[in-house]
Amino acid sequence: MIRLSMLQLRAQAIIAAAALIAFAILLAATGPHLASLYAASGLDGCKPASCGQRASSFLQLANSTSPYAAVNTLSILVIALTPALTGLFWGAPLLARELETGTFALAWSQSVTRTRWLAVKLAVGGLAAMAVTEALSLLFAWWAAPLGRAAGLGGSGNLGTSQFNPLAFVTHGITPLGYAAFAFTLGVTAGALIRRTVPAMAVTLAIFAAVQIAMPLWIRPNLFPASHTTVPIAFSDTTLNLYTTSRHTFTYSLATDDGLPGQPEAWIRSSGAANAAGHPVSTAVPSACLPAARSSGPGPALANCLTSRGIRIAVTYQPVSRYWPLQGTETSICLLLSLALAGYCFRRLSRLS
Amino acid sequence: MNTAIQASGLGKRYRRAWALRDCTLAIPEGRVAGLVGPNGAGKTTLLRLAAGMLTPTCGTITVLGQRPGAGPAQLARVGFVAQDTPIYSRMTVADHLRLGAWLNPSWDDHLARQRISQLALNPKQRAGSLSGGQRAQLALTLALAKRPGLLILDEPVASLDPLARREFLRGLMEAVAGQGLSVLLSSHLVADLERVCDYLVVLVASRVQVAGEVSDLLASHHRLSGPRRDRAALPAGQEIITESHTDKQSSLLIRADGPVLDPAWAVKPVSMEDLVLAYMSRAGDDGPASPQRLKVAS
Repeated sequence: MIRLSMLQLRAQAIIAAAALIAFAILLAATGPHLASLYAASGLDGCKPASCGQRASSFLQLANSTSPYAAVNTLSILVIALTPALTGLFWGAPLLARELETGTFALAWSQSVTRTRWLAVKLAVGGLAAMAVTEALSLLFAWWAAPLGRAAGLGGSGNLGTSQFNPLAFVTHGITPLGYAAFAFTLGVTAGALIRRTVPAMAVTLAIFAAVQIAMPLWIRPNLFPASHTTVPIAFSDTTLNLYTTSRHTFTYSLATDDGLPGQPEAWIRSSGAANAAGHPVSTAVPSACLPAARSSGPGPALANCLTSRGIRIAVTYQPVSRYWPLQGTETSICLLLSLALAGYCFRRLSRLS
Repeated sequence: MNTAIQASGLGKRYRRAWALRDCTLAIPEGRVAGLVGPNGAGKTTLLRLAAGMLTPTCGTITVLGQRPGAGPAQLARVGFVAQDTPIYSRMTVADHLRLGAWLNPSWDDHLARQRISQLALNPKQRAGSLSGGQRAQLALTLALAKRPGLLILDEPVASLDPLARREFLRGLMEAVAGQGLSVLLSSHLVADLERVCDYLVVLVASRVQVAGEVSDLLASHHRLSGPRRDRAALPAGQEIITESHTDKQSSLLIRADGPVLDPAWAVKPVSMEDLVLAYMSRAGDDGPASPQRLKVAS
């Protein structure tokens, strides 16, 4: 039965292997040079506190040197789309095509119970989808390691995205395994319910996309309680916007730009003006600071004045130490959903044909 | 005698309607049984239930003494060729044989290869590019090479041209002679069944109208014609299946336990087609539930 599953997956497996090899060649051809750029920038052995500037200039150099920015974007897209593609082209047809073409009657009249038939097909297809996605992710992690190290040193730039960035989070670590398993079993389930390949593929895509949007927006931020802190207004690392509400009154907004001091990799959920105790304060510019606001706008003078009034920036965030717990929890959610869907497919199986 | 298929009160309901209801039958082992009936009689549902493709909504069915599809061992004992002889169109002929070998412990690879070469099929050819006849033959090869005790075929020749039909049935008969298996096949082409079957089941609206050895059925049914008369005049042990009357003439198809002795009748033998049509039209007029009631047939 394992051999049959592999035979039936042959065409898809060839496409996946070809894509994997092409991807590996692309990364292998460009990765070593990126690493040598990193070595040349003298970031090895740096301390996060002292190397932010140099890390940023490395990231800018990498961004402006062809083809790193393009390879980076392409890789993230490929890894983020692979679970969806395997769900669509491996998962959805698994039952739907058999039901659509009537070949289920051939498959299920061999000397193998249909429960075992499905178990093997789910295992082979699901594990293959997980392996392909994770292989892509690991290759890219190797390629992008210098960029990640520079970001960890406090460097900023287009290529120094936070590891909590929604696209970065689902393309690194173990989440690709979870999403690959979920998309695959989602496809199989849609096929079992709809019994036609193309509509099953469409439904799979719609639901998977919805989950991938809902996860970073509503689910991931709430998996663990957020941490709170307040930081002083450091004008260089702070966004200070000033709004005129009438001729005599102004409001302002505050946010940290470059993460938390000392925790450049933390995942910032929100930030705003607060008093020293961390309680939000009115965003109306205090009257003592109105002259500064009038004369120089949202400049250092206003920032200093706000600081002297005891105003700080309150930050709600997930510390970087939550990265792996979040990865683990999100992957577990995906795998549990996959198991539930697979269980439903088994229950549904006796009623199919 | 062991039964190949035994059903009692068997029913299958889909979401809205019953596809088969209250079906009771017993087919002995070692027969090539033909299942005939009008469209919608429940033939396909019955065959799928027997093959273990479906589970009954009510009633029981046993195949070779076991519940259909009860496990790998039971699946191995039943070969099934579904309607339209499905095969994997993207896989080659050789891939299909590999599939059979992988999934069936009792696979007879020699038999499979021999049949493929007799049929002059190219093992490297994609099954999707085979002709209808070749496709049916490939499906039959898969079902035969697992060496089943019972082979179930659902309208295997319906879409084939006359030549391919003859070839298919010849291949089937050779295999039956060689392997000594029981066969149940459905068709609405009575001429094909006449060629291969030694047992006949007529199914109309889920009910078995008549079932038995073909030779017995042909021997016990007669077409009578003679001067018009009432059916009450028939002696005991004779049952009218269909009758038609003109002002002067009566024409009957009857089942009789013994010879027809009344000299007023001209007695003719019946063909299988006569028999099937008679039982189908009687059921159509009469409602399925009352074989004892008699009415004037068309």
